[in-house]
Order: sequence, then C-alpha cells, then structure tokens
Amino acid sequence: MLKLAWRNLTNEPTRMAISVTGIALALVLILVIAGIFAGSEEFAVAYIKNEPAPIWLMQSGVANMHMSSSYIAPELIIEAEQIEGIKDITGVLYTGGNLESGEDSILGYIIGVNPQAEIGGPWKLVEGRQNPQRGEIVIDAELAKRLGVELGDEVNLFNTAHKIIGLSRGNFGIGSSLAFINKQALSEWMAVPPDASSFALVRPDVGIDVDALAARMQSELPDLNVMQQAEFAASDIDLIRQMGVDIIRAMNLIAYIVGLLVIGLTIYTATLERSREYGMLKALGANNSRLAVVVLSQALISAALGTLLGAGLAYGVADLITRISPDMLILIDPEYVLNQIPILTLVTGIAALLPASRIANLDPMIAFKA
Amino acid sequence: MSAILEMESVSKTYGKGHAAVQAVDQASMKIEPGEIVLIMGPSGSGKTTLLSMAGLLLKPTQGRLLINGEVINGKSQRQMADLRLRTLGFIFQAYNLLSALNARENVEIVLNMAGNGGKAASTYAAELLDKLGLGSRKHHLPADLSGGEKQRVAIARALANDPQLILADEPTGNLDSKTSEEVMELFCHGMGREQGRSMIIVTHNPAFERIADRVLWLEDGHLTNGNGRTNH
Repeated sequence: MLKLAWRNLTNEPTRMAISVTGIALALVLILVIAGIFAGSEEFAVAYIKNEPAPIWLMQSGVANMHMSSSYIAPELIIEAEQIEGIKDITGVLYTGGNLESGEDSILGYIIGVNPQAEIGGPWKLVEGRQNPQRGEIVIDAELAKRLGVELGDEVNLFNTAHKIIGLSRGNFGIGSSLAFINKQALSEWMAVPPDASSFALVRPDVGIDVDALAARMQSELPDLNVMQQAEFAASDIDLIRQMGVDIIRAMNLIAYIVGLLVIGLTIYTATLERSREYGMLKALGANNSRLAVVVLSQALISAALGTLLGAGLAYGVADLITRISPDMLILIDPEYVLNQIPILTLVTGIAALLPASRIANLDPMIAFKA
Repeated sequence: MSAILEMESVSKTYGKGHAAVQAVDQASMKIEPGEIVLIMGPSGSGKTTLLSMAGLLLKPTQGRLLINGEVINGKSQRQMADLRLRTLGFIFQAYNLLSALNARENVEIVLNMAGNGGKAASTYAAELLDKLGLGSRKHHLPADLSGGEKQRVAIARALANDPQLILADEPTGNLDSKTSEEVMELFCHGMGREQGRSMIIVTHNPAFERIADRVLWLEDGHLTNGNGRTNH
C-alpha cells in the first residue's frame, strides 16, 4: 500500500510539486518569522552581551534596558564603588533619539559614554576612534550607509549637529540601533546631573566570585537593582518575546492553515480523481483502514518532502535576506525546526481526514460502472 | 461437496414507499464447483445488482446468501471484505487497473492485501502474467497496454489469491471480436475451471454461451433458466 501511495504521488509530478511546495512555503513562513524575531532578540541584547561587565546596576524596579527608563543618582554610584571586590564601575546614560541626515531619519538608542571610560562604548570599531567628545558621535557603519554619511560627516541628533568620529559594527538592528555620544552632553539634554547614570557597568577584581559579589551588592544597595550580565540579557529577551509572541503565534497559525489546506486539497482532489480505483480496491477486499493508510501515507510523504525543502529554503532565504539587509539578522534554530515536525505531522493527519472519509463512504459498486 | 455460492429467494429493493424499485425479485441460484454460469438479460434487468450481491458488495433486502454453506447475511463489512479478498475474484468491464502501478504490481497488490508480501508475491505475480502471455509487458503501466492486455492483467489479478469463484461483469464489453475470443478462451481453459474454480459471467455477448455450463436469464429482476440452454 505504501508503494501505491508513493506511485500515486510520483505519477502526478505537477500535483506533487504543488503539494510539496505549498508545505515548504508554509514552513519557510514559520521559520523565517521566528528567525527574524530571534535575530531581533540577538541584536537587542548585543550591547548587554558584548560589554565586558559581569554585573549591571539599574534603578530599583527596573529589570530591562528596552522599553524602560532607569535613573541612578551619582551618590549611589559612589556608594557602590566602596564595596569590596570591585575593579571599577562605568555609568552610561541611555535614551531614545532620531538620527537625521537630510531627509533620512532613523530611530535609535543613544548611549552617553564618558570619553575616559574603558568600557560602555562600541565594542567593535571598524573606522575612526571611539570616546566621543561633545558634538561627536560614533554610529554603526550600516547605519551610516543608510543615512548616506561617512566618517567625518555630520548627523543631526536632538536638533544638534554631531560629527561622526567612528564607525562601529554590530550596533545596527531593526528598531535597536545604537549610537554613542558624549555622556555629559547627553546629561544636559536629559536634564540630569553629569555624573548621573541610567545603567552602571561593574567589573569585579580578578578572582572575585561574581555571584557572591552581586548578592552582596544587592544587599548593600537596596535602592538599586543588581543583575548579572546573562540574567539582564535574558530579561530583555523575555520582554521582546512577550511583545512578539502573539505575532509569531498568529503567523504560525496562518502558515499551518495554509499547509493544511494545501495538503488537504491536493490529496482530496487526487483521491476524487482516483475514486474508481479506490472503489475497485474496496470491491476486491481492501478495508477502509487499509485505504486510509494510502491516503495518509501520501499526505505524510508530501509533508516530509515539504518539510525538508522548506527547512532548506528557510536557511537559504535567511542567508539571502541577511546579505541584502545586514540589519536583519535571521536566526533559525535547528531545534525550532525539529519542533515543527510533530505539529506538521498533526496538521497532515487532519488534512488526510477529509479524503480518508471520502474513501470510507465510497461505494465499491463504482467499480462495476463501465 | 457443497455449492460455492447459494442464493435463496434473494431480493433487492432500492428506495422506500412509492419510490421503491425492485431490482432483483426472489432470485435463487446455486453455483457448483467448476461450473461456469452465464447471466444474460436486457440492460436494466438487475444483472449488476445480482452480481454485486453474489460478490458480497451489496446486502440483499430479503433472502439468504451462502458461501461454502455459510450464511453471509449477518456478516460485518470487514468480514465481507475479507471473504471477497480470499474467496472471490473480480473481473470488470473497464478493467479497473491502478493507473500508477505497472502490470505486475497490479497483480501483486491483491497478494499484499491478503498478507502475502515480499519477493515471493512479486515472483508469483510475474508467473501469473507469464502464463497469460504478458511476460514482456509486466513492467508496463496500464496506459501503455492494449485493451486485451489490460483485461488479461485484470484476469491475473482475479486469479492471484486463488479464489473459488470468479465474478466477471461484461469481460469482453470493451474488446474487439478477436480479443474477445482470446479472453473467452482463457475463461474456458486457463482460469482453473478444471481445478474446480467456478465463474459467474454477466454478459450481453452470446458467444459466451458455448463455454457456459448453464445460462440464466434475468429480466425485470426475475431470474430464470435461459431457455433451457445448457453447454458443457
């Protein structure tokens, strides 16, 4: 019966191609959308992950960098610096702003960094220098390309011209581009004291137990929230996922329905066209469950081929999009691909129900019709 | 030895009330081992309905149906399907071969359905086709076979599970006269009549009368002996 299922498919290559391609495209939709969100998450926490600070301080009650506002008074930084085991603490200011050049405008996150600080700025500089003075800015090379500017050109931020003194890499993503300016200049725009910070990056002394230090800091600094680097990044990823989960679910549902309809309709029409053959098999003695196996096998073979093609296509599409638009990092997790298999199997089973029921109700006397 | 098939006052009515149509009315017949019985009659006389009841595809409205002395009336669909698979062989006017499978696979599939798989089934299917003169055509799809070749594949398929009774519905209805003769010859010699295999052939083709042991006439649902004609 499996041979019959396979031959029924391969004898009609056009129908098989439609079925397999339909399932593949549905899977591409699922994987690429999930990949875009995963890529966005990676971009969104790139700053937290790449700065060499195992411990981060922020205002009490704040646990995210995105969609949040944090204020750390200067005296709290001084108090934190007194705790034993700390090498240094670097405060940065953080806010949103529009980077403009001519008619172009791109929304980004602005980090105010102290020019003397060793950390807190761009972690991968490809051209120029970092540590911006007043009126200077470091932006991502891709962002500069989008704005049509180069090193030495000016971009407008907070209605003030900023000269581009450095081009970085890895700071440009959808809705999560970073630009670095002078901290004191940003403090004036934000109307906070120059020594105030939004977040503070803590580097412990060599050999210090980070877990113990973080716990000690939290107990001694009740007005601040102390988070370790991985915990802080995970918290931001959770937030972003919460924002995107409904969209992913809705798109996945649409994709599954598309897949279900494609498999269901192609197998159903194929079954209709072969009604007489199935009727003949019933007449010869095949029972309904045996014939349902044929239909289900056809659907499963189509789904398996569609899954293989779809997974391959999804990786190809992700690579192509990332090449064309480097700000769109699409991360397709192989585990996520594997997770789709039981869902697609279920969808395929449902799709096979209609043609299987059609066969179950088929009158074997159809075989006697001339 | 008991009859392979017995029909005792079997009737079939389609529909109910004023719309009821009596397709077969109180038909009785007994098919003995090795017997070839021809059922003839005008179009719409109920031949296909009678054949469908004999083939366990249709349950009678009234009367008893026995296979090898066992009453069939109360059997489930699954039991009937199993009986069809192991006891009966079918030959249809339109051949009804599976278009996606080649000649050998069309024969092999009924062996598989009966639980006989693997190389042995494949070899046996090929041997059957060889015997029916299709040795060189066994790897061809039905679309590449002539009408006569298709019907011979259908005959091989009907014989595959070594049935006791073969039911043929207008087996030469789609064939030219020369090919019809060849197929008829197969019914007479080559389908196991000598070994006790019985056949019921529904046909309009009077040429079959010369190979039939008995001819039954069906008209308006009534089954009678066909003008007393008997051939051996």
